[in-house]
Amino acid sequence: MAHDSNFGTTPADREKAFITLYKSAFPTVAKYVSKMGGTFDEAKDIFQDALVIYYEKTVTSTIEIHSNEQYLLGISKHLWAKKFRENLKQTPLDDSEIDFANEDDLQPSAGKLMHYLETAGQKCMEILKAFYYDNLPVNKITEMFGYSGIRSATVQKYKCMEKVRETIKQKSLAYEDFVE
Amino acid sequence: MRTSLNEIKLIDGYIFNSNRTEDALLFDALLILNPELPDQVMWQKKAHAIVRQCSRKKLKAEIEAVQQQLFENPAHQSFKQRILSLFSKQ
Repeated sequence: MAHDSNFGTTPADREKAFITLYKSAFPTVAKYVSKMGGTFDEAKDIFQDALVIYYEKTVTSTIEIHSNEQYLLGISKHLWAKKFRENLKQTPLDDSEIDFANEDDLQPSAGKLMHYLETAGQKCMEILKAFYYDNLPVNKITEMFGYSGIRSATVQKYKCMEKVRETIKQKSLAYEDFVE
Repeated sequence: MRTSLNEIKLIDGYIFNSNRTEDALLFDALLILNPELPDQVMWQKKAHAIVRQCSRKKLKAEIEAVQQQLFENPAHQSFKQRILSLFSKQ
């Protein structure tokens, strides 16, 4: 169910929210990564991934976060530990106790498909992002994309999903490893 | 809404477990009656995965732009110095 989040509805709203989060939480995360022997680039990468996780959590659920800084630090510590374990995995040990596979990881050819959809189906991908990823309320989406009403926006969402689904089906014949 | 779009709506409801009871029952019946439906569910799940990946990529680009702004714009100089000083002793 869509609901209001701290990130607003537009890229400008998100930019403002990310600047605030950067200023309030990045110093603590950078301090932690530095203490653990990490570099500035590692701190940056970990913090940016933490922001993505934070965004996805807050736009899709109603969880109440009391301290954004502590929450982002917690995610960053987890990501740092994960990165550290992954580095250890590169040694020839039989380190099979934890499966690090990310369910969102797609086959390499998904990159080609993404590129195709981002260019040939840009408008559809933007609409689907607004509905499914940003989880924006349908009335906001109607307004943002200039539809005549909620019903038109909803129909367009399903038309776009159909288009993307059919494209994936067709392209998967060309990019065989995607269907594995 | 045409039939194929209603089917997409029902599949979405199935994937996100948000179908109302009567729609969930209808969908269960369709799964038995329409042998192509499980495949459509699979493709729709893949479509959602691609939408998520593309959206995540866009969000990461927005975050990177914010990072650049904070580390390249003189207005945020003190913030930049504060962060870089943490790594200067390495």
